[in-house]
Amino acid sequence: MKGSFRQSMAWLHMWSGLIVGWVLFAIFVTGTASYYRADISRWMRPELVRVEPTDGAGLAASAERAVTYLKEHAPKARTWFIGLPQPDHPVLDLFWRTRPGEPPGHVTLDPKTGAEAAVRDTKGGDFLYRFHFELHMPPLWGRWVVGICAMIMLVALISGIVIHKRIFADFFTFRRDKAPRRSFLDAHNVTGVLALPFHLMITYTGIITLATLYMPWGVTTAYKGDSQAFFVEANWITTPRKPAGRTAEMAPIGPIVERAVATWSEPLERLTISNHGDANATVVAVFEEPHGLSHEHPQIAFDGVSGEILETRNGGLKPAAKTFTTMTGLHEAHFAGPALRILFFLCGLMGCAMVATGIVLWSLARLPKPGERSFPGLRLVQALNVGSIAGLPAAVAVYFLANRLLPVDLAGREDWEIRAFFGAWILAALVPLARPQRRAWCEGLAAVAVLCLAVVAADILTIPGHPLRASGGDPLFLWFDGSMLVLAALFAVASRKVRRYEAPRRERSARSERAPAPSSVPSPARSPARHTEPTHA
Amino acid sequence: MTPLVLAVNLGLSFAGLTALCLSLNRHHSEIFDRRAERRAVLRLRAFGWAALAVSLFVAGAWEGWAFGPVQWFGALTGAAVGLVLLLSYRPRYVAPAALTALLVAAVPLAVLAAAS
Repeated sequence: MKGSFRQSMAWLHMWSGLIVGWVLFAIFVTGTASYYRADISRWMRPELVRVEPTDGAGLAASAERAVTYLKEHAPKARTWFIGLPQPDHPVLDLFWRTRPGEPPGHVTLDPKTGAEAAVRDTKGGDFLYRFHFELHMPPLWGRWVVGICAMIMLVALISGIVIHKRIFADFFTFRRDKAPRRSFLDAHNVTGVLALPFHLMITYTGIITLATLYMPWGVTTAYKGDSQAFFVEANWITTPRKPAGRTAEMAPIGPIVERAVATWSEPLERLTISNHGDANATVVAVFEEPHGLSHEHPQIAFDGVSGEILETRNGGLKPAAKTFTTMTGLHEAHFAGPALRILFFLCGLMGCAMVATGIVLWSLARLPKPGERSFPGLRLVQALNVGSIAGLPAAVAVYFLANRLLPVDLAGREDWEIRAFFGAWILAALVPLARPQRRAWCEGLAAVAVLCLAVVAADILTIPGHPLRASGGDPLFLWFDGSMLVLAALFAVASRKVRRYEAPRRERSARSERAPAPSSVPSPARSPARHTEPTHA
Repeated sequence: MTPLVLAVNLGLSFAGLTALCLSLNRHHSEIFDRRAERRAVLRLRAFGWAALAVSLFVAGAWEGWAFGPVQWFGALTGAAVGLVLLLSYRPRYVAPAALTALLVAAVPLAVLAAAS
């Protein structure tokens, strides 16, 4: 780190970006996909059919069925979670926790009969969503890794703004027909600058959503170690109650649910029942967020024995808590309708593109000159670039494909889908190590295109109710398959560009006949970057 | 109302950003094969910033000042991506597209103004 301020910032930008680039790319891709988490989940559970919203009496009856099931199958659990049927997800989703450290129990029930629902076992969009901030690691570890990457991302963003000398003059500049380093730098700048408000917002609010994990000291000091009190004041939970140690019969859940539904107009989303069978049993009804930027679920706590309301929490937050929930809300964008959601999605794609072009630029800047030898670090970075920029989308496609192709009654099906995801990714990351760079890019991108097409084919072939096969099918399938086709087309174009690329003659006529050298390529996300691919730089 | 407001935002952003883009010499000569005159540059800049300001006002007035700015930023980014792609692949279409965008913004704006 020598020289002027700007030079040292350039050094910082380059290395901070490289260190976390591949993880960031994965975070951006899965995060961008998570804007459509509910839709992905619905696509991955094709057995479920959209229904009209259930009324209070219907919800009450299905809650009764859920409690009956839990009393029989999870009598020892300390807490029961009951996800109530929603129009998009018309089943009862039951979870229960018996003791800390043990994975929670889970079952899906038919809300009308209380029998186990005939739905394929899958994590759906939740896998991608959780991967976005936990990387499929143990939650605490994953969140810390993602948090550190996000903080370094913030460093890279700010230093990137500092070193961009012509940020206004080059605002609209994308010279895709120039030398690779030039056009990739333009693509990096354009995707970074045009969506800069989004990038800054999403990185900062992303850290903020987990801020109490990264920096617990403020809460520890202000609440004298009682973090629960903070969560209550922030409207995350209702006041927790300790078990009394005396047994007592629980009040029927039906009337409680009906009373909850009658209290607020927001749809009732789930129930949390803790200490059932105890005199201090508590039922918390959690509602969907009211329309607004801030992310707050209204909640009502009922006494589980008497059925009386203990506490209601809905709005009325103090400024600090309101700021916090608004930041979280901005990050998750639950408020965004279909059109605004497309814009958020587009911004997410630009984030993917920015990260992808950034890590490719690092290797472009270090390509050996004619007569020089490549060095192992460069080789590794190049292989990792292919492994993440083509490998991750391939893995996501395989995840979708596994959802359609694995036998529906396979034991541990949801785990096999995830194994397919990681298997594909590992394979996609290892192959480029053994292939020449340009071939690796070309094959990797083509593989993603083929896999996306395979997802569409598998969807149409295995789903009898697909709108292309039966009239009155759910249009969701058409939208999903359409997006897969678009992705396939983008990757196919990118692959073709790599194969056909020749370095601009003017600048490199002397060198263009030499051995094929590394090349790099736009990611799917990188529709804007459909420019020439480098062989030299 | 949201789709209408979003259409206004996208249209105004595209027209405004195009004006700002054409006020830069490099892009002006790419499209019109000549350098921009000083007065034209000033007019383009004034129009561009005004369009973006009106877009922000429309977003704030109809979507509220919480959602408005979020939508304004989103529309700006969306329009800018479109503009950069058009500039790179079909520079000739930039000016006509900006005029169309202005019309596309004007119609829903008239509807909104009439309804309120």
